[in-house]
Amino acid sequence: MALLALTSIILITLDLQGSSATRALRSTFGTIFRPIESVTRVVTRPASNAWYGITHYNDVTAENELLREKIAQQEGAAVAAAASVRLSQELLALNGLPTLAGINSVSAQVIGDSPSNFVQSVEIDQGTESGIKVGMPVLNAAGLVGKITQVFANRAVVMLITDPQYALSVKIINTPKPTTTTLPLQDPATAVTVVSVPETIDPQVTIPPVAVTSNIAGFTPGSIVAPRTPIISSSLTIPPGSNVSVRETGVLEGRGAGRVPTVRFIDTAQRFGVVQAGSPIVTAGGSLSLAPPDIVVGTVSRVRERLGTAGPLLEIDIVADLSNLSFVRILLYQPITERTAP
Amino acid sequence: MSERLLRFMASRWTRLVLVSLLLLGLQTTVLNDMRPFEVMLPLMLLFAVAAGTIYGSEVGAISGLIIGVMYDMVLSTPLGLASLVFGATAFVAGMLPYFIREPTWWTRALTIGVVGALGELAFPIAQSMVGFSGQLQPRVIVVIGLVAVAGTLGAPLLLLVCRWTLKETLVG
Repeated sequence: MALLALTSIILITLDLQGSSATRALRSTFGTIFRPIESVTRVVTRPASNAWYGITHYNDVTAENELLREKIAQQEGAAVAAAASVRLSQELLALNGLPTLAGINSVSAQVIGDSPSNFVQSVEIDQGTESGIKVGMPVLNAAGLVGKITQVFANRAVVMLITDPQYALSVKIINTPKPTTTTLPLQDPATAVTVVSVPETIDPQVTIPPVAVTSNIAGFTPGSIVAPRTPIISSSLTIPPGSNVSVRETGVLEGRGAGRVPTVRFIDTAQRFGVVQAGSPIVTAGGSLSLAPPDIVVGTVSRVRERLGTAGPLLEIDIVADLSNLSFVRILLYQPITERTAP
Repeated sequence: MSERLLRFMASRWTRLVLVSLLLLGLQTTVLNDMRPFEVMLPLMLLFAVAAGTIYGSEVGAISGLIIGVMYDMVLSTPLGLASLVFGATAFVAGMLPYFIREPTWWTRALTIGVVGALGELAFPIAQSMVGFSGQLQPRVIVVIGLVAVAGTLGAPLLLLVCRWTLKETLVG
C-alpha cells in the first residue's frame, strides 16, 4: 500500500511539474488506445443510439421544433448582424485595434468527452501538427467553449468554461434601465418628474403645466397664458453617441457540471448602473487575458446581490451548448500567460 | 526466452492490462454516452474494487494502481491521481474478510457498491488536495448514490470477469 501511494505521488508530482516523460507516456498510450476506442465505439454505437432514443426522444422533437422557429426568426437578423460585424471589424482595423478576423483559426471535431464525473473537458482531433498550443481559446459557432489544456501530435484536450479551474476576464455590456424620480417642490402641483438614467442616457425633463389660480373677480384662470419659469433649465448638450451601452469588466469562473458559471468582481459604479438580466457578456481581451476581446460568452441569467463591497454575483447562460459539441474552432492565439520558455 | 514470453503473456497482470483496455474502451464510449441522471458509471473503479473483494488487499491495490494509471491516461487530471484513489479503494475493499469471515456473493456485491461509492467520493477530494478544487458539490451525493446502486447490481458480472482476469494460471 505504501509503495502504491509512493508511486502515485511520484507520478502526480512529475505531471504537475509538467514533465515531458508523463506527456510522452500519455501520448503513447493515446496512440495505442485510440484504435481500441474506435472499435468499441463502432460496436457499442447501437446501444448508445438506443439509449439516446429512449431518454432523449421527446427532448429532441421539442428542440427540433424550437430550432425551426428560431431559424425563421434569426434569418433576417443574421444578415443585419453580419453587416454590423463587418463594419465593426473594419472600424477596429482602421483604428489599429485587435479583431477576431485578424486571428487565424483551425477547425476540429470533438472526438470524446471526459470519462469522469469530476472533469469538464472534451477531446478534439487536432493537435500540435495543426499549430495548436496550450492556452489557445476554443469556440464554436455560438461562442466561447473553453481553452486548450493538453496538446498532443494530433489531438488535444479542451477544458470547458464550466470547469471550476477555468477563469477568464470578461466584459458585461449593460444597458441600464431608466429610473423615474419625482423631485418634491414647494407646490405639489408643480412637481417636476425627471426620467433619469445613468449619465449615458439622455435625460428628459418634463414640466407639467402650471396650475394658475386667481382671486380677482371676473378673471377666469386659464384664459391667459401664465408666465412660466422652468425650475430646471434643460439646455443640456449630449455628445453624439453617448447613449451606447456601458461596459464593465469582471471575472468569469466555472463551477462544475450542472452549475452555471458566474461572474464576480463587478464594480457597481454609478455610471454602470444595475446589471440587467439578459445583458450580453463577451471576453475582455487585454495583454494578460486568456482570449482576444469580444468573443461572445453568454448572457446574464440572474443577478445575485451581495452585502458590502463584494458587488453582485452574476449567473451566466452560456451561448454555446457544451453538452452537444461537434465541431469547434481553435483561435491560433496563445496568451502571454500560457507561453512557456522554449 | 519463449517460455519467459509465454509466462509473461499468460500472467494475470498481462490479462488485467488487456481486459482493462477493453473496459476503458467501454468507459470512454458507451458508458460516457449513457449517463443516467447525468452520472457516468465508473466501470474501471468498480472493476478495481471487485479485484480487491475477491483477491484481497494486496492484489486489489496493485490492480487498482494498474487500472488507475490506465484511466489517468485519458483524463486531464494529474497522472497518478486515479491510480492513487483506485489503489486505495481496492485496498479497502480487500479488507472485507476482516469483517466477514466467509464472504458470500451478495456481501461482495454490497461491498463493491459501498466501497465503489466511497472511491467515487474520494476522487474529488483527491482532486482538491492537488489544487483542482471546486468539484465537491451537492451533486456528489447523487453520484455516489447511483454508483452504489450500479455497483451492487453490476457486481455479479464484474466478479465473474474479475475472477477470470486475475486467476492464477499454471504458466503464470
